[in-house]
Amino acid sequence: MRINTSRTELVALVSVGLIVLGLPAAALGYQYWLRPATAPTHVIDIDLRVPQDGGFAPEAITVTMGEPVTLRFASLDVTHGIAIGPGLGVDLGHVDPGQVKEITLTFDHPGTYTYYCNAWCSPDHWRMRGTLQVIDPDNPGFVPPAQSDPMIQALIVEGVDIDAKHEEGHGHDDDPALEITRPLSAQHGADLLDSVTLPDEVIDPLWRRSHAPTQALELLGTANPQMTQADLIDVVAYLWTADTAPETILNAQVLYNKNCAACHGQYGGGDGPAADTTAENPVIFADPAFMFEMRSDVLYAKIRRGGMGTDMPNFGTLFTQEETWALVEYLWTLPVQLANQGEE
Amino acid sequence: MLTEGRIDLLERIPLLKRMLKARAFQPAMMLLTLFVFTLAILTGIAGTPAGSRNFGIIFVWIVWWALLIVVLVPFFGRLWCTICPIPAPGEWLQRRAIIERLPGKLRTRGLRWPRRLKNMWLQNFGFLGVAVFSTIILTRPNVSAWLLLSFLLVGVALSAFYKNRVFCRYVCPVGGFIGLYSLLSPIELRVADPNVCADHKTKDCVTGNEHGYGCPWMVFPGDLTRNVYCGMCFECLKTCPKNNIVLNLRPFGSDLMVAKERRLDEAYKAFIMLGCALLYSVVLLGPWGWLKNWASMDTLPHWALYASSFVIFNLVLLPGLFALVVWLIRRITGNQRPFHQMFVDFAYTLIPLGLAAWIAFSFGFVLINGSYALVVLSDPFGWGWNLFGTSGVSWTPLGTSLIPFLQVGVLTAGLLFALNTAYKVARQHNAHHRPAFLAMLPVAGFAVLVTLGFLRLYLG
Repeated sequence: MRINTSRTELVALVSVGLIVLGLPAAALGYQYWLRPATAPTHVIDIDLRVPQDGGFAPEAITVTMGEPVTLRFASLDVTHGIAIGPGLGVDLGHVDPGQVKEITLTFDHPGTYTYYCNAWCSPDHWRMRGTLQVIDPDNPGFVPPAQSDPMIQALIVEGVDIDAKHEEGHGHDDDPALEITRPLSAQHGADLLDSVTLPDEVIDPLWRRSHAPTQALELLGTANPQMTQADLIDVVAYLWTADTAPETILNAQVLYNKNCAACHGQYGGGDGPAADTTAENPVIFADPAFMFEMRSDVLYAKIRRGGMGTDMPNFGTLFTQEETWALVEYLWTLPVQLANQGEE
Repeated sequence: MLTEGRIDLLERIPLLKRMLKARAFQPAMMLLTLFVFTLAILTGIAGTPAGSRNFGIIFVWIVWWALLIVVLVPFFGRLWCTICPIPAPGEWLQRRAIIERLPGKLRTRGLRWPRRLKNMWLQNFGFLGVAVFSTIILTRPNVSAWLLLSFLLVGVALSAFYKNRVFCRYVCPVGGFIGLYSLLSPIELRVADPNVCADHKTKDCVTGNEHGYGCPWMVFPGDLTRNVYCGMCFECLKTCPKNNIVLNLRPFGSDLMVAKERRLDEAYKAFIMLGCALLYSVVLLGPWGWLKNWASMDTLPHWALYASSFVIFNLVLLPGLFALVVWLIRRITGNQRPFHQMFVDFAYTLIPLGLAAWIAFSFGFVLINGSYALVVLSDPFGWGWNLFGTSGVSWTPLGTSLIPFLQVGVLTAGLLFALNTAYKVARQHNAHHRPAFLAMLPVAGFAVLVTLGFLRLYLG
């Protein structure tokens, strides 16, 4: 059989042309022209690198209200964790090197959100944040103004130094340091409730938010001179943790583990893997003596706006106020053996 | 005529002969590899910078590399050179055709390749040059792509100035070590009867005829005694009017014993390959993160220190240690042969050890990262495509418990092969067993130490 070689040559030549010119044209044309033109959503690719190598790229994006947008996060170096907040409930989990995770969102009102890494990825991990701006197509210049937080405003008006370093203590500087000789037991405190006189202030949850446990301890001591301080401390431990719903605690625990534990430690011991590199001296939430000096509203304020002059970043652009309060309530559980966990 | 222990595959498998004689066979294979090569460059430049999700990184440095070093080179010698796409564009431009044999001369300036570069030294330095950047090349798709593209462009440029495959023969850093290790392979292209070639006046295999081109590798098949410089393009099979070309199946490592063609540049290639396998194992598989950072150019001074140490180790330290071994042999045996000759001859014992080391090293990362191939097959650019439904396949290390056994097995086989080669080389120097055995001992000690070093790195 004789092969028509010139035809074979032509086929080979066309094949080379298809490979060298057609392949790039097809691939790039599909990706940059056909795909966007036919995609049901607006796709935005966001590359992830550790902050010292650039962090998010792009670090700010603008999307249009009412238009579905697909955000594709691709990690280019180490394992990152991706969440978007506040209030969207978006957590894509870990994005391993080379992995791509995506989510499609449609925003129904203008606003500003933050996409951020919630897996400790480097000593500068907390800087890994990007801004997602949602604009109204009818009024693209409108950016909703940032709302001031009444709780933080109240603290400022009261003259509380939110940025005071934790080593300096919080109030009651003239009092001797509280000595706590045994693990705090909310269960024991609950068992003592029937035999304890509770002042009205101490019963009020709002009062407890704006006062430190040591202040409650003073009131309880005055009202119950027959009780030992150790027992009253357990009563306070119960009161500061009793109102927290287990589901709230579980959700807050997830938030804590992803966003706080790297520095403060999984159990609040101030011994997270980033304790030596990112934060010089993270607060030890598991220390009852420290926590008894703290106020819930101050903890709330420190979480939301960060500790200026300290290594504590702000989380107010990441979490809702409700999520922040849940975190504060979770923090109170760290030094306390909870009632529902019993005496272990 | 060397036919002992040989089986002519072309005679045994007529279909193979027909296939290899067909002018369309090699270009067809090259078109396939050119497609993959083009895609690798394209994905490297335009695709995701994440190496593990980029076709260019995964298919070149894992799939191709595994195929080359574990299968093609040990078992088929230079078969990769048969289908390599890098010289193809330059060769097609020279020939003005892809498949057909057009009459007339090759389209090229026809310059003479400098005499002093007619050896493997450029390939040695080229390989070292690439090797000192390897940590970056292996992980950054764009760097990898530009390197591949530069190979292709250099190949085209050289073919415009010089006849035939000057790039493959004297420049290609990959071709150098493939050629050296093809000494071990059980496949050889030879002539059935050299006397037929000697008596043949027209030497069509050199000059070409209407059936094919003169040897692009500038080799006279009638003189072939080793695989190193035969690129297995099979043009001689097409042009030989005497039907004198054979493709033999033979014992592994037969070419190592061809004493008269041993050369210093090839000996150095053996040192460089062994040294690079050792250093790669230290840098890429060892526990020293700071060294990996230096190799990845975390700072220029660190990388400069790493690169200069890398080069000195390969060009000075390792050959220097081996020179001590040769000095010891001469002290023990009183052999009066020139030092240079003994150094070169015994260096060939490192070829099986070096190939075994590369195979063992490759097992360490190819099996671990092989599953990425499925992902990039469906999503070559990392753009979220899913062509074959495999883009979501999670990373699955394969044979993790088997890898140490494979590494030990391969290294042991390489060591035994090296010891056997050392003894045979020593017998070429000494007719009697005892002095040959004594001469082998220092080389054996060197090979054992090197093997133990690899085992320490792989097994911890």
